[in-house]
Amino acid sequence: MTPSRRSLLQAAGTLLLGAARAAQALDKPAAAVVLSITGRVRSPNNGKRADFDMAMLEALPQTSFSTRSPWYGGARRFTGPLLRDVLAAAGAHGSLLRLVALNDYWVEMPIEDTALHDVIVARLLDGKPMAVRDKGPLFVIYPFDTSPELRNPVHYGRSAWQLRTIDVR
Amino acid sequence: MAATDHRRALAPPGNPAVTPDVAPDRPPTGRPPWLGVLGLGLGLVLLAVALVQGRQATLLNQAVQLSDDYVVLTVYQAETEYLRLRDQWHRATDERVPLDRGALQLRYDIWVSRIGLLHDSRTNRVMSGQVDFAQTLARIDLFIHEADTLLGPKPTRVLSGESLRALEPALMALGSPIHGMSLSAAHYVGDHVARRNEAVRHHNQVGIALTVFLSALTLAFGLISLRQMRQLEQRRKALENLATSLRQARRDAEAASDAKSVFLANMSHEIRTPFHGLMGMLSLLRETGLNARQIDYLRTATESADHLLALLNDILDMSQLESGRMSLALASVDLRALLRDVEALMRPQATAKHLALHLDADPSVPERVMADATRVKQVVFNLLSNAIKFSEQGAVVLDLRSREAVNEQPATLEFIVSDTGIGMDSATLDRLFNRFAQGDGSHSRRHGGTGLGLEISRNLARLMGGDITVRSTPGEGSAFSFRMPLLTVDAAAPALPAWAAEAMPPAARPLQVLVAEDHPVNRQYMAALLETMGHHAHFTANGQEAVDAIRLRGSAAPFDIVLMDLHMPVLDGTGATRAIRALPEPAAATVPIVALTADAFADTRDRCLVAGMNDFLTKPVSPQKLASSLRRLFGQSVGSDVPLPDAPAPSPVSAPPLIDHAALAMALQAMPRERLAAMIHAFLDQGPQTVQHLRAAVRDAEALELRVNAHAARGAALNLGLAALAATAEALHEGASHLPAHEIARLVQRFEEQLRLTRSAALAAGLAATP
Repeated sequence: MTPSRRSLLQAAGTLLLGAARAAQALDKPAAAVVLSITGRVRSPNNGKRADFDMAMLEALPQTSFSTRSPWYGGARRFTGPLLRDVLAAAGAHGSLLRLVALNDYWVEMPIEDTALHDVIVARLLDGKPMAVRDKGPLFVIYPFDTSPELRNPVHYGRSAWQLRTIDVR
Repeated sequence: MAATDHRRALAPPGNPAVTPDVAPDRPPTGRPPWLGVLGLGLGLVLLAVALVQGRQATLLNQAVQLSDDYVVLTVYQAETEYLRLRDQWHRATDERVPLDRGALQLRYDIWVSRIGLLHDSRTNRVMSGQVDFAQTLARIDLFIHEADTLLGPKPTRVLSGESLRALEPALMALGSPIHGMSLSAAHYVGDHVARRNEAVRHHNQVGIALTVFLSALTLAFGLISLRQMRQLEQRRKALENLATSLRQARRDAEAASDAKSVFLANMSHEIRTPFHGLMGMLSLLRETGLNARQIDYLRTATESADHLLALLNDILDMSQLESGRMSLALASVDLRALLRDVEALMRPQATAKHLALHLDADPSVPERVMADATRVKQVVFNLLSNAIKFSEQGAVVLDLRSREAVNEQPATLEFIVSDTGIGMDSATLDRLFNRFAQGDGSHSRRHGGTGLGLEISRNLARLMGGDITVRSTPGEGSAFSFRMPLLTVDAAAPALPAWAAEAMPPAARPLQVLVAEDHPVNRQYMAALLETMGHHAHFTANGQEAVDAIRLRGSAAPFDIVLMDLHMPVLDGTGATRAIRALPEPAAATVPIVALTADAFADTRDRCLVAGMNDFLTKPVSPQKLASSLRRLFGQSVGSDVPLPDAPAPSPVSAPPLIDHAALAMALQAMPRERLAAMIHAFLDQGPQTVQHLRAAVRDAEALELRVNAHAARGAALNLGLAALAATAEALHEGASHLPAHEIARLVQRFEEQLRLTRSAALAAGLAATP
């Protein structure tokens, strides 16, 4: 069994588990909504979409890694929940994600990427929250330093910053 | 080169033949030097291709990493966000609508984050050439510095329509430079892409050129290799042709050598036939009452003839040794008797030159050994006559010694012939054994000879498994040593001829002899010879006439014996023999036929025996040889007035006794002596008939018939204690189906001979009546 397939299964398992957990309920956001998940969402908390405030994202298991990226000189530490956990929390099911930024920039990411790579929705840069002018508040980022195959324009492009909405298709 | 110098340094200084000889390291035709240059060029081009491709890979990599295009997007987005902020800002200054702080704040933050991207090193590197870019960026930064007092992370002034309106002209003023920035970024990137494309194209061109060059070189390399291979192939073919022609040349040479051998054999026959007549006539002439002067002339003539015969024999021996047709007939030999024979023959020569001759056998030398007496004598004669020939005074000594087997060295018999003659220096010794060479060129005329003697002797010695060596000091004499393996004889088995000679009672009767001989001189000689021996001779000139004569005589008055020349017109000897054996008359099947031939080859002899002949005489036919053959066939009943100096007939290595006295004693326990004697007598009387049956079976290749007859004879012989006959019959029985025909014919001949010998032995033992 190849590592990628194993992690796919793991991811699928996590997704199902997450879906089961989320199916119970997704709390309504208490503070300002920073991320909305639209489209094929099983456990919405606001009409047909699932809204998250920063506390809800913070409540999910956190992942942290250092990586170099085209946007910052040198390696920086990013911290936040895994994208697949966020999707699981919303009960997202689909094959394609459209990541939309505050400035209406969007990019599409196949959902397998969330299983194959530990893509996170970073909310802290070097342990501090990111302001909008610092490409915050949320930054989808791949662990570029772990694998050379990630270091290409496709994956750099999929790393959407100032993330606001994920449309699941 | 270093290796060559090294070799040169190693070469012995005194050996100029080695030092300059460096070229042979290279193949003879030489590899063209430009092949190496081409190879080097190929290597360099490959290296260049690798470099170009590496550079292209790096270039592409850089393009991917830097993605200058991305800068254009960044600048454009900065402009877009600027326009969106300007919109939002303008709306915020409108007093008719309420101020949406959040929306303005978001637009402002997004725009600032976009401007932040323009500050990063990548964008700066791309845009650093543009003077306007830095100025524009400074102006933007100045504006942000002011706007941050209203919208920054820590505002110091109150955000209101008023304050926003105050800053609006500054914001508006940024529109044109920001748009210019976008344009110049687009232009820059366009140029850059064009440059990159140009570089890639250039690299491609270089790559294509290199590839073409590489292909050309590879092609050249291939062509040269092909040429080399073709050359190699041509060389191989040339070598093959050479080998073929060499093989052909060798075959031709061998054929020529064979033809020469055959020619020699034929010549020896052709020369010896008339010579045989000449010698015979000379010997007959001696008996015709000559005066002293005539006898003297006759002796000289006889000596010349003897000498000539010796030369002919030498040549014949040589041709036989060369063609490998010389074979040894091993028999039990009484060594001391052999020495006596030799002495008897050499003594006159030694006496004639006033030389002392001593022949001495060491006491340790066994009485009898297995050897070919004729050939041993020939070698010893040669050594002794040489010694006598080259000595003017003193003594010639022959010492016979034996040496016992030590470790791997077999037991040897050594004849040492030493003389006090002229001796030889080392140069003479070196070419002593060479063909036609004689001790000293100046002596050849004085001493005569073919010059083949020593070579024949040494070849004979080697054929026997021994050798001849020589030590010599000029002026003092020489010592030749002739060594041969010592093969012992079982002392219990005495040699047949001696035994037979004692047992055979003399009794003479005249024989009717048919001689088939085409040569008139030989006919006269044979007539004289046979008459002297008291027999009646009848002549035919060819084989067909001989067959006719036998048929005419029928069984009423048959011939007692046929002497058959082998080479005759119309029908040769073997053909005639077959025809005679095929005649219906019983006498024709049994009449003994003796071949007369000048070919002394063993295969000629075998051919005769297979054809149905009983014996074989080589020409010239001496009275002794003829008498001995007649004795073999008819017992002592025919003329025995001639002494018997000739070599003994071959006999098996460990011949069983003619009569096994132990078996006889057992038989005598069962029956009275007279009865046993009668039975032995009856068996021996049946013998010739048995022989006749056996011969017929051999001739017709009836192996089964042969086995049945041999088996019956063996059984009877064993019962009667006739061991030798039984052994021969058993050998026939055993070998009937697998031995070659001539071997079987020989066994039959031996059986016939043993019949006669056994009768003599039985007579001596009082066990049979006279036939």
